Amino acid sequence: MKKRINILLVILLFFAVSCTDDDDSNDHLGFDRAEMLQSLAENLIIPNFETLQTSVDGLHSAVNDFVANTNEVNLSSVRQAWVNAVTDHQHCSAFGFGPANLSLGPYASVLGVFPVSESKVESAITNPDFNLAGSFDRDLRGFYAVEYLIYGNGQTDAQLIAGFDRERKDYLTLITDELKTNFDNIANEWNTSYLQEFVASEGTAAGSSVSLLYNEFVKDYENLKNFKLELPAGLSAGQTASDGTLVEAFYSGISRDLIVEHFENSKNIYLGFSKGGQEIIGFEEYLASVEGGPQLITTTLEAIKQIDNAIANLPQGRLSDRVDATEVATLRDLLQDNTANFKSSMSSLLGISITFNSGDGD
Amino acid sequence: MSIAPLVVFRIAFGLVMLLSTARYVRMGWVDTQLVNPVLHFSYYGFDWVQPLPRLGMYAVFCLMALSCIGILLGWYYRIAAILFFLCFSYVELIDITYYLNHYYFVSIISFLMIIVPAHRYFSLDVNRNPDLTLLEVPRWTIYIFKLQIAIVYCYAGLAKINHDWLVKALPLSIWLPAKTSVPLIGPIFQYKTTAYLFSWMGMLFDTFIIFGLMFRRTRWLAYVAVVIFHVLTGVLFQIGVFPIIMIFAVTIFFPGAFHQKLLNGIARLLKGPNRLLRNNTSRQALPIKTGKWLTGFLAFFFVFQLVFPWRYLLYPGNIFWTEEGYRFAWRVMLMEKAGTATFYVKDGENGREGSVINHQFLNPHQEKQMAMQPDLILQFAHFLDEYYRTRGMTDPVVRAEVWVTLNARPARLLIDPTVDLSTISDTWEPKDWITSFDDH
Repeated sequence: MKKRINILLVILLFFAVSCTDDDDSNDHLGFDRAEMLQSLAENLIIPNFETLQTSVDGLHSAVNDFVANTNEVNLSSVRQAWVNAVTDHQHCSAFGFGPANLSLGPYASVLGVFPVSESKVESAITNPDFNLAGSFDRDLRGFYAVEYLIYGNGQTDAQLIAGFDRERKDYLTLITDELKTNFDNIANEWNTSYLQEFVASEGTAAGSSVSLLYNEFVKDYENLKNFKLELPAGLSAGQTASDGTLVEAFYSGISRDLIVEHFENSKNIYLGFSKGGQEIIGFEEYLASVEGGPQLITTTLEAIKQIDNAIANLPQGRLSDRVDATEVATLRDLLQDNTANFKSSMSSLLGISITFNSGDGD
Repeated sequence: MSIAPLVVFRIAFGLVMLLSTARYVRMGWVDTQLVNPVLHFSYYGFDWVQPLPRLGMYAVFCLMALSCIGILLGWYYRIAAILFFLCFSYVELIDITYYLNHYYFVSIISFLMIIVPAHRYFSLDVNRNPDLTLLEVPRWTIYIFKLQIAIVYCYAGLAKINHDWLVKALPLSIWLPAKTSVPLIGPIFQYKTTAYLFSWMGMLFDTFIIFGLMFRRTRWLAYVAVVIFHVLTGVLFQIGVFPIIMIFAVTIFFPGAFHQKLLNGIARLLKGPNRLLRNNTSRQALPIKTGKWLTGFLAFFFVFQLVFPWRYLLYPGNIFWTEEGYRFAWRVMLMEKAGTATFYVKDGENGREGSVINHQFLNPHQEKQMAMQPDLILQFAHFLDEYYRTRGMTDPVVRAEVWVTLNARPARLLIDPTVDLSTISDTWEPKDWITSFDDH
């Protein structure tokens, strides 16, 4: 027993020394994660899903009008409604957890898949037995299948309208209905039960809200780099050439705008801003409270500044025509350079589990 | 020496391993860790160990569960022990990214179980053939487990005697503040003082606990410390059944009388197998002979156990950075390290270079482990070399930019990003393409 007390004394002595060594204000490493979750949910995630719900609803009624009266005026309003919806989708794609994690996976990997398979869409249209709910295919549904139908691939507007027979209209309605059902449901669940559940799970282990939010944030950021830039630009291993048809929103040609919006949302989550620019609590504030955090913030902010510049320098007009531009490769490289900041360095400093239920550690 | 400690050890080991096996299956890890991955990272020299098809893997786990029951009940014990050792080690050897020190510990213990007569009392084997009954066993049959446990604790403690752990309280200063939502004690983790306290207590516990367990006067106190320590780490970190294994394993330090009481208790509880307790002393049948070969083998085994963890001294550089000699050395929960690895594959003919989307080939766990361990980075590079070769690329050049953060330091390049990894083979030699880690 005496020995033990001696050891204890030595330890206490050590602390007396180590504490005076340190700046006392540094002793506190705590951060209120629940407050961050609440702030992000109430000021960013829920408002963004509500906006998306509204714009998808707008798309839904525009499609109904277009199907009832298939003319150029209604075509143009359906296109405008689609642009609104897919723009709002950029501000939600990082939140594919909770109610936005559909049975086939995070919603963006189900309803936001590009490129669509034109042949699958066409055969689904003509197949009387096609069952969307029973289909596991992701490249014949969602935002970009709607885009394919309402923009067409190379036809004039008159040709497009002439081609809208009963089956085509039915299919357009079918996939727009699916969008509406899902986003109504997501917004509704966030507003009823999920917010509480989200804020209550404030740990950092696998499956906690912080871990879900963080992992989807990183995945969404990597999707921007991998699928919106790298693959179309032919910068992926094994590719022998660029391929403009692989860009997001190939038919409408608004790829560049969507990239801007996408990164805007990544920044909002990291820096802690609402979509309208109001200051809230994001990962940056969380990082500022941990060991090594301030240094990582400095590095990351510098990287973000460079990415912002590179996005501003992206060629105007249809990105699919300009995928070989050096500005595209530059942006890809800068996004790549920042990946370690967002991915390994941040999760390491915050102690967040980056894998979902994948095993034990030691 | 009384056989009772060995018998209790057998029962506890069989039971915990049965739970562990069932848990592994229930978590779906047979599929996610063994069957689904596109590729597996192998242990050096063990690339011939490959997973079976799905049904085969499940059969292995059934066999493993059965052998656990065999060990637990002492039912065809030798065969069960051998089977368990083989099944467990086979699964462990399939993919090194799942390497855990406690899996290695289980492999070692199950191997030692094969050579001891833990089934010769209070077992179905004895029930079937009472002549097998043995009440006394040679000392070594119990001391080998004590020695092995001593090595684990002491080495884990010695590994904690380093600058980051003791002077900077890292990585606990990172891990503990992330645990403030743990019930009851959560709030104390927001203080740096707690991280210092836990770092030093952890080091002292691991290094010295074995001495507390060795002596009668301190044994119970030490055991209480063991339970508190492992329960605490079990609550704080995702380490599965490891705490339970240790809490049970350490009971082998208690004397025979204590274990005999436990067995009597179990017999009473089960209200039947009292006859398993009978002291069949009329014939001390088949005493254990300790042959020369066994003595020699055990000597070799423990010399290896004592020496192998020190091999890192032969490598230049910082072991936390290079991880050369890191595994199989009881370096447990010692560092917070994470990396982002981007691989670039260049067609040797047309010079076109492109990057690789890692998660097309790796699950998140594999990607995470690979991205900070040089030998696994090399394995993945070789996989990519072969993959793109079969897809028609000539002489692929594979390089990797790997940014690694260690214990909250800013990330930096782990390996030379210009080196063509496809031309390098893994050996025991120091890897000169790992960057140097000069901290100060």
